[in-house]
Amino acid sequence: MQSLELPLVLFTVFSQAAIGLTLMRAIRVSAGGPSGDAQREWRVIAGLMVVGMIGSLFHLGHPLGAPRAVTHLGSAWLSREVLFAGLFTGVAVIAALALIKENTTALVWIAAILGLGVITSAGMTYAPPALPAINNALPTMFFLTSAVILGAGFGSWFAGKERQPLMTRIFTTALVVGLVLNLIAPCVWISGGTVMHMTGKAWFASGFYWTHLAVLIACLAVLWKNKTIPTWLPVLALLGELAGRAGFFADTIHTATNIGGLY
Amino acid sequence: MQKQYAFLVDSERCIGCFTCAMACRNYYHQEEGIIWRQVYPLAEEIYPHRERAFFSLACNHCANPACLNVCPVNAYTKREKDGVVVHHQDKCIGCGNCIRSCPYGAPKYNPVAKRAEKCSMCHERLDADLKPACVQACPTDALQLIDLAELHQTNEVQYPAGFPKMESVNPSTRFILPQMPKMVRR
Repeated sequence: MQSLELPLVLFTVFSQAAIGLTLMRAIRVSAGGPSGDAQREWRVIAGLMVVGMIGSLFHLGHPLGAPRAVTHLGSAWLSREVLFAGLFTGVAVIAALALIKENTTALVWIAAILGLGVITSAGMTYAPPALPAINNALPTMFFLTSAVILGAGFGSWFAGKERQPLMTRIFTTALVVGLVLNLIAPCVWISGGTVMHMTGKAWFASGFYWTHLAVLIACLAVLWKNKTIPTWLPVLALLGELAGRAGFFADTIHTATNIGGLY
Repeated sequence: MQKQYAFLVDSERCIGCFTCAMACRNYYHQEEGIIWRQVYPLAEEIYPHRERAFFSLACNHCANPACLNVCPVNAYTKREKDGVVVHHQDKCIGCGNCIRSCPYGAPKYNPVAKRAEKCSMCHERLDADLKPACVQACPTDALQLIDLAELHQTNEVQYPAGFPKMESVNPSTRFILPQMPKMVRR
C-alpha cells in the first residue's frame, strides 16, 4: 500500500462533484424549461471547489508556493490542471455572487467546458508512465464517471420535479458505467505485465475497492426499488467515490517497487 | 549526438558492497531514510545462481526526463553541456508529482525540507573535473561515468531484465550484464 494522499482525494472528488453539478445544470438548461434554483446551486459548486482547492494545499510541502504551480504549462499537466481548476473556480464564484438569472446559459457552458478541462488535465496528471495500470485513459474515465455520478446525484437536489426522471436516468447510467469500469479494470490488469498484475491484486485485496463497489451496488439497488433519487443517496455515493479514490492513490503500484525483479 | 553523461553499471564486477550508496550518503548527508543511490539485488528468475548479482541505481539522467516534464514549477533543468538532470530545491513546492511520475523512483521526498530531492550526478564535482562520489568510491570499478556521445557500443545494454523499460523517457544508464558462472565438473 502506497500513500493515501487524502488532500488529493478530497480535491479530486470535490472538484468532480462541482464539475458534475455544472454539467448537469448545462444539460437541464439546454433541455429548456425551469432548471432549478441557479444561485443556490452555483454557491454549492463554488463552495465545493473552494473546499477542494484549500484541501489540495495540504498536499504541498510549501503551500505558499502554490501560485507558482502554473509556470510550466508547456509540458506539465499538473500546471494545466491547476490553471483550469482556478478558472473554473473563478467562474463558479462569479456566478454564485452575481445573482445569475434562470436563463443565463453562457456562463454555464463556459464553466462546463472549463470543468471538462479540469477532468482531462487531472486524468493526464494521474496517468504517469510510472503507474502502468493507469498510464492510459482510465484516470480520465474514472474521474468523468465520478463527476457524472455525483453531479446527477446532487443535481437532483436542485432540479425541479419535472427534471427528476432525467437526473435519475443519468445517475443510474453513470452508476452502471462506474461499476462496470471498476470491475473490468483490475480484471484486465491481472493479465498484464508484472506491475499491472501487482496493481490488480492490490485492488482486489483493498477494502477501499470493495467499499466503492458495495456503495455503487447499494445505490443501484435503492434506485431500482425507489425509481427516484432519495435526498440522502448522493451523500452515500459521495462516500463511495471518496473510498474509491483513496484506493486509486493507495493501491496502484509504482514501477520502482519491482526494480531487480522481472517486469 | 550531444554530450550526455551516464552511469555504466557493470554487474559482472559489482559485488553488492553498497560502497557507492554509502559514498553518496557520506557526501550529501541526506536525512534519515532518504537514499539517492540504491543497490538492488537481482531476483532469482533473472540470475539463478548462488552468487548474487546487483544493479546500483540512482537517477538515470534521462534524455526525456519524466520529472522535468511533469514538474509544475520548473524545478528541474537538464544541463545542455552534459545532459545532467538537476533538481533546484529552492523552486520545489513539494507536490510530489515527480516522485509519482519517475518510473525509476529516483526523486525522493525530504520530510524535513518538505521538498523533493535526487541524485545530481555530483555536477559540482563534474565541473571541477572530479568523478561523482559513488563512481570514485566503487572498489571494483563496477560503476563508471561514461559519455553516451562517445560510447562505442559493444556489450552494454539499456534495458536489462530487472530494470523498467521506459522508452518514452529514454534513461541514460547503461549496463553490462553479469556472466553466468562456469560449471566445473570433476
